[in-house]
Amino acid sequence: MRERTNEQWLAELRGPNPDGALADLYDLVVRGLGAALGGYGGGVEANFGDFAQEALIKITGNLDSFRGESRFTTWAQKIAINVALTDLKRRRWRDVSLQELFARREAADRGPADAQLTPERLALQSTVLQELRRIIDEGLTDRQREAVVAVLLEGMPISEVARRMGTNQNALYKLLHDARKKLKKRMEDTGFSLQEVLAAFEEG
Amino acid sequence: MLKRSDVVKLVRVVDETREIEISCDECFERLDSYAETELSGLDARTAMPLVGDHLEKCADCRSNFEGLLIALRGT
Repeated sequence: MRERTNEQWLAELRGPNPDGALADLYDLVVRGLGAALGGYGGGVEANFGDFAQEALIKITGNLDSFRGESRFTTWAQKIAINVALTDLKRRRWRDVSLQELFARREAADRGPADAQLTPERLALQSTVLQELRRIIDEGLTDRQREAVVAVLLEGMPISEVARRMGTNQNALYKLLHDARKKLKKRMEDTGFSLQEVLAAFEEG
Repeated sequence: MLKRSDVVKLVRVVDETREIEISCDECFERLDSYAETELSGLDARTAMPLVGDHLEKCADCRSNFEGLLIALRGT
C-alpha cells in the first residue's frame, strides 16, 4: 500500500478519483479484521468483505468527523472493528430475549445458601442481601433495574441490551451510570462499606 | 432478583463508580488516539484517564479497543 499522509488520504477520498485510495483502504481494513478476528471461529472470515464494505461506507460518509488526532488509517480501522464486533455480538445474542434472561435468573435463584457457612456469616449475608435488594427496589426505575441485571450482573453487551430496550448504547451507558451513582449514594447513606460486604461474601 | 452470587460483583461495580464518566460515544471518538498512545509505549491510561476509566467499566468499548490494538499491530 502506498504511504499517504492524513491530508493525502482525505484529499484522494474527497477527490474525483478515489478508487485507488478506496482499494488500499479496503485491503488494509480486511487485513486488520483478519488480525483482530482471525481466531474468532465460526467461519467469520467469510464476512470480512461485507464488514469492510460497510465500514468503507461509514468512513467515506463521515470524513468530516475525522479530527486528525490519530493517523487516518487508525481511525478507519477503529470504525471497521466496531462494525464487525457489533455484527458478531448481534449474532451471538440473537436468540436471547431479556424476558428469558430474567426468567432464567428467577429459576436459578432457588438454591440454598452455602451449607459450610457459620450461622453468624449466614445471618450477615442475609442482612446485606436484604438491604441491597431494598436499595435496588426503592432507588432504581424499572428500566435502570433491567439494565443493571442484564448488563452488570448477566454480562450481556450494552449494545444488545440497548437494542432490546429501544435505545442505543450511548444512552444506555448513561442510564447505567445514573443507576450506579444512585446505588452508590444509597449504599453510603446506609453505611455499607465495600470491605464489610466483601468480608461477608467472599471466601476465605 | 439479586442473588447471593451477584453481591460482590455489584458492590464492586458500584464502588468504582465515578461522578464524572464519559459515554461510549465520547470514548469511541478518542479510541484511535488512545490506541496509538498505547502502541507508542506511553501510558495511555495516564494521558487519557477518562477513556481508560470507561474502558475498564464498559466491556463493549473494551472489546473495540482490544480488537483495534490487534488490528494495528497486525497491519
